[in-house]
Amino acid sequence: MAANTGSSRVAIPSFGGKGKLWIGLLVALMAAGIAAWGYQLTTGLIATGMRNVFSWGLYIMMFVLFVGLSAGGLIISSAPKFFHSHRYEGFARLGVLVSLACIIVAGLLILPDIGRPGRIYQFFTSPDFRSPMVWDFGIVLLYGLLNLWYLWLLTRRDLAARGSSLALGFEDTEAGRERDRTLMFWTAAVALPTAVALHSVTGWIFATQVGRGDWFSPLVAPVFIAKALVSGLGLLLIVSVLADRYTNFEVDREELTSLGKILGIFLAFHVVYLLAAERLPHSWADHFEFWAIMSNFLIGDSVYFWLWTVVGGAVPLAMLALPPLRKRVSVIFTASVLAVVGTMFEGIRLVFTGYEVANIDSAPGISLGGEYTGITTDIWATAGAYTPTLVEIAVTLGIIAFGAFIVTLGLKYVPIQRVDAEPSYATDGGKQDQ
Amino acid sequence: MTKHGLVIDQERCIGCQACAVSCKQENNVPMGQFWNRVLTEGGEKMDTPSGGYPEDGGSGSLDMQYQPTACQHCENAPCVKVCPVNATYTRDDGIVEIDYDKCIGCRYCMAACPYNARVFNWDEPEHMPEEGTGDVEARPQGVVEKCTFCSHRVDEGLDPACVVNCPADARIFGDLDDESSTVSKYIDKYETDQLLEDRGTDPNTYYISGEMSPGRPQTSDKMESELDDVSPWSDGDDDVPSKEADSAGGESSGSSHSVEGGEIPYATPAKSGGDD
Repeated sequence: MAANTGSSRVAIPSFGGKGKLWIGLLVALMAAGIAAWGYQLTTGLIATGMRNVFSWGLYIMMFVLFVGLSAGGLIISSAPKFFHSHRYEGFARLGVLVSLACIIVAGLLILPDIGRPGRIYQFFTSPDFRSPMVWDFGIVLLYGLLNLWYLWLLTRRDLAARGSSLALGFEDTEAGRERDRTLMFWTAAVALPTAVALHSVTGWIFATQVGRGDWFSPLVAPVFIAKALVSGLGLLLIVSVLADRYTNFEVDREELTSLGKILGIFLAFHVVYLLAAERLPHSWADHFEFWAIMSNFLIGDSVYFWLWTVVGGAVPLAMLALPPLRKRVSVIFTASVLAVVGTMFEGIRLVFTGYEVANIDSAPGISLGGEYTGITTDIWATAGAYTPTLVEIAVTLGIIAFGAFIVTLGLKYVPIQRVDAEPSYATDGGKQDQ
Repeated sequence: MTKHGLVIDQERCIGCQACAVSCKQENNVPMGQFWNRVLTEGGEKMDTPSGGYPEDGGSGSLDMQYQPTACQHCENAPCVKVCPVNATYTRDDGIVEIDYDKCIGCRYCMAACPYNARVFNWDEPEHMPEEGTGDVEARPQGVVEKCTFCSHRVDEGLDPACVVNCPADARIFGDLDDESSTVSKYIDKYETDQLLEDRGTDPNTYYISGEMSPGRPQTSDKMESELDDVSPWSDGDDDVPSKEADSAGGESSGSSHSVEGGEIPYATPAKSGGDD
């Protein structure tokens, strides 16, 4: 009954010296993160850089980043499946694995941000369905489960063929593979709108707020979609190049170049078009002379803005657009790293624009609620300021290390690469009964 | 229906911080935190005006106003709508309140509030004296807290502590749904603003500026609705403004701030009869 039309392989058959070192590093980071979180639980969020005016910080900034990062893999693997194409098949499983890890990281990043994590069950016992945070809680949970299901669906017949217990009793039969292909189509059909909903709802957490400057903009949700496409695809390219280099995972060079081109298109749409669309109406309305309008439109005012648009936008876009450069793996890799870093700074900038300026900023201002040190006047602030503390950084790195750990385990235990016997350009709706 | 509201007369406010301090005391607000703040609209620092002195060639444009700011108890309260667990809610009488047992400390409400009226207990709240002050239980670490219009006092028929303790009678508390209440009449008669009106939060806190109102018209710490129809000034002995003062006011054909007789309850005791 073993109806193997090809074979599959895991990327890491066993950990060598480097692999063990890598695992050791991740475990060390996770341990440090847990210790830091434990410390933060005993002292309270006073251990963070957040205070009353600037009340969301690194955890939320990174939550926004990782929700975006989780988009790429799922979209790259489900969009072709939805259109019955075999394009980018080589990235499908790795993509879903990376998506799964990222959404787990995003979800976990919320926990240390909660003042009383012990009460989080209130989400189930007393939800208010007006709250975008309740919508987001639901969609993150759904998206995580969907990724888990999809990864298992993509690999369960191969897992069975390898005799892995992760197949959960399913067997590798031709009829089973056939049925799974139908299930994959339907999963893809559900996954795409779910991904769109995930990023829109995460955007709406900010976009619905009248009290926080630039947050209140209908463009935030579309920008979050664009951001997810850029950073998600960027991360997938980074991970596949790394996996190709350090494990048995093999990247199809042609597909890699093609995805690099797509990343360039996403970048152009996001950083050039959407940013322009967002900025022009305000500069036009606020200024009178032509050059005043233009300079206000083109020139940003914060470091984060420039880090995002130039380092994370213009530079990688140029790298991916120039024909002599864009085929090189190193160029694709660097451009992807820059795109992810740029997106990170865009998220940081978004949170800063909300908290930097207080709507009512008359003296003495707002009480910060920091540690009370006696008779001083430094409990007040008229503007928001924020620098993450070591505790926040350690917790965040620990959680990200956990995500990397999940990807590593996936590469070890899940057959991440399918070595098909039939040509990969079969596009007849996935029917392969020859 | 009752809809509690607060009118603050910025022309009467003298910036003494009594409301801020009595709020902190009454509500057992932790050290380093304030639910109620008296801001200075003017110069860079507290109690400093903007503009220049009239002497030595200055512009003579000195200007300063106090802006007492606490939770505005919005009708369309963003904090209530964002709270994922229904911890922040609007009471039937319009007061926006927090159930501290439900609050998970996500601080979405702080992001939502355009007025920065909310504070978070970043560490174990510290009180002086340690056992706390006032009539409200201390809130734990990890929750958001804010002004409740002293709902514990309101429930007993008392005005909020900041209202009772304002020596300038600049704070008037009452039922906005009752057309005969002082707050409704003041909002009708005087030029009032809501803070950040353009955000559409529709606060139940109104600020009078321009013409000064007669202020809070009673001396009891009870709410207006809890009082008898008779002015407390007419049946008390010691607190009655002297007849001389009243008739003096009457003879000077009424100051610009006086209100038509009968329009404002309690303000002009019938017995002392100066204005008619």
